[in-house]
Amino acid sequence: MAKGLVLVVDDEAPIRDILSFYLKRSGYQVLTAGNGLEALAEMGRSRPDLIISDLRMPEMPGDELCKRVKSDPATRDIYFIILSALDGTASRIGGLSLGADDMIPKPFHAQEVLAKVDSTFRLIEMQKEIKRQNKELMSFQQRVQEEMELAAALQMGLLPKLPGETEGAHYTHRYLPAAGIGGDIYAVLPLPDGCTAMMIADVSGHGVTAALISAMVKTSFENQVRLGGGPLDWAQGMNEDLCRSTLAEQFATAWLGRLDPAGNRLRYVVAGHCAPFRIVGGTRGGLQRSEVLRGKGFMLGLDPQLPFTEHDAEFLPADRLVLYTDGLVEVEREDRAMLEEAGLRRICAELPAGAEASADSVIAQARAFNHPAPFVDDVTLVILDRLA
Amino acid sequence: MLNIQTRQEGTASVVSIQGKVNFEVTAQLRDVIRETVATVQPKLLAINLEGVSFIDSSGLGLLVAARNSVDKSGGKLHLCCLPATVKKTFDQTNLTNYFSIFATEQDALRGS
Repeated sequence: MAKGLVLVVDDEAPIRDILSFYLKRSGYQVLTAGNGLEALAEMGRSRPDLIISDLRMPEMPGDELCKRVKSDPATRDIYFIILSALDGTASRIGGLSLGADDMIPKPFHAQEVLAKVDSTFRLIEMQKEIKRQNKELMSFQQRVQEEMELAAALQMGLLPKLPGETEGAHYTHRYLPAAGIGGDIYAVLPLPDGCTAMMIADVSGHGVTAALISAMVKTSFENQVRLGGGPLDWAQGMNEDLCRSTLAEQFATAWLGRLDPAGNRLRYVVAGHCAPFRIVGGTRGGLQRSEVLRGKGFMLGLDPQLPFTEHDAEFLPADRLVLYTDGLVEVEREDRAMLEEAGLRRICAELPAGAEASADSVIAQARAFNHPAPFVDDVTLVILDRLA
Repeated sequence: MLNIQTRQEGTASVVSIQGKVNFEVTAQLRDVIRETVATVQPKLLAINLEGVSFIDSSGLGLLVAARNSVDKSGGKLHLCCLPATVKKTFDQTNLTNYFSIFATEQDALRGS
């Protein structure tokens, strides 16, 4: 196989011949041309890797040829070596400023030209290799990107469909994953007895691993709810599930609740998660009294033996429940201030009547508080309004 | 940036952490703890959190994993000097009851 294609351009036939002879003997494929115009015509037929060109030639001199080759995006990458009788630094700089890659002074020794051609081809090979690797990397990156987008779309499919409706209540969510896909998840399941099971969870870490575990958390929650019982049973079952199936540093904070509209009660377990708010009469809009549904409990997935505690709160018609993950309140501003629970509670105590408008308002106000710092963690907000 | 310093106090290793412990720096902290546990196999690993301004869930996960790995090698993990913000995070997640927490480093080294 030929080592590469060299185009030799010189108006003196003996020079063309001698260069051709040596280059061919070293294994190169050689084309020749007597001036710039001929060279361009030759290039129209096949694309050389390297051009060695004299400067002074009739029809089109070497500097003009060099300018044309280097200004055309299609041929710009072809190596260009100028052969010139004009020796000395000044003309050397002049030649290179035309865009030539190198110069060989005339008179030259054939071995010198060969050595230069060999080293140029080593460079060309290296560049080709870099380009090839670059292309591979780009296509790999693209594949990863496409997979991530697919995963993100799949994850969105795991969230409840909006507008969300359950017995005597409706709800909406805002879900803003930090890295396209995230570790937040929530679920609302109507129960056969007219109650509603609810869960919001935040898996430690970000990205694909967290997203996979969040899907697992959701499945585990659905399985536990199907087995019956209440939030305490669900929390214990999910904790065992997660301890069994995750690695050392992977766990989830979660809030699990069971809304009983007939009894106006909300039973819940806090598993290391941000305590939600109950806005009393919040669905009427305007400034309303708010309560933090406090509770203490371990995160899920730490240790199968850890105990949980169930709490109980009143939840009346027209009340509003606000569930969220810590990404919403834990953005550090330049002055190191964070919105935190207290700030979000103030926002949530005075919202519009509709859940959709309220969700938009919460996100907008949180962003305004953090400005210019963006959300850095996964952010999930769920607003559930009990019908009046 | 996280600043981590380790030193030996008899059979105990002390790891002092300064900065924000979040997802970006857990790898750095994990390496230090893993190496300390593997090379020194301390009877007691004390982690001083005095300089920690913030800890997120991945940081908490790391500490839980550290406790479990020290447990497995027959040692103990003590935390000390929790600043108010960190204390709040521990309270919220109930980890205050999961770890042995001490007010000062001396207490942590003495405590059993």
